[in-house]
Amino acid sequence: MNSALPHRSLEQMAARRDRSGSLWLIQAFSGLILVILLGLHMIAHHYVVEGGLRDYQQVLDYVNNPVVFILQLSFLVLGVGHGLLGVRAIITDMRPSASTLRVVNWVLIVIGAVAIVYGFYLALALQRMAG
Amino acid sequence: MPDIQPTTDPARPKSSLRAWFDVRGRSVSTLAFALNRLTGLGLTAYLFLHLIVLSQLLRGPEGWNDFLRIAKSPLFLMLDVVLLFGVVYHMFNGIRVALVGMGMANRQQKGLLYGLVGTGLVLFVVGAVLIFTK
Repeated sequence: MNSALPHRSLEQMAARRDRSGSLWLIQAFSGLILVILLGLHMIAHHYVVEGGLRDYQQVLDYVNNPVVFILQLSFLVLGVGHGLLGVRAIITDMRPSASTLRVVNWVLIVIGAVAIVYGFYLALALQRMAG
Repeated sequence: MPDIQPTTDPARPKSSLRAWFDVRGRSVSTLAFALNRLTGLGLTAYLFLHLIVLSQLLRGPEGWNDFLRIAKSPLFLMLDVVLLFGVVYHMFNGIRVALVGMGMANRQQKGLLYGLVGTGLVLFVVGAVLIFTK
């Protein structure tokens, strides 16, 4: 019985799971971009600065740089989206009912929207404080 | 579509959730995929925690500098090392998951796993040493 099934890796099965894999593709591509953004974030915040972390004034100077500002907000949007799509994929693997999945979708959308709006507010507030 | 259920094995039927915790007879790639999801969950939780911590900046220099004192304690640095492992593992194994999921490098996936995760582990060790010495 099992041998009649086409052999696929777990990753391919995850990719095919729902909505023709479009959400999975978004997650995969956002993940590849995040490799660069997260790598830059880790190096800039934790390995370039003497002592490992920026002090208050250094943080303000850092976010006041427009390139950094845009990179940080891109990182926020992609990170939140990628993470919550991953949570959804795990929940989808547990084969919830359609109504449960609808609720899950809305909960994740609300969590993501709140996190992104708060992140933008925080970034803009810090930029105002720096200016 | 029974063929797209990754976590259940017809030889040992059980719930999808319980199947994730049954590591018997699993291949290295499967375990790597499971660990990828586990680190992903941890990193997602950390991302939200990170946003809350960053709100300390709104309290001015005192709020942030108080946090910095805690952040430089040995316990916190150990947690940083755990976080670094999650980041590096998820990053490098995630590249493999994305490539294989897109149908690329299927035959080389084990080599990719060892190559990418091995590279990640080297970077993790270097990063962990820097956390304590920088």
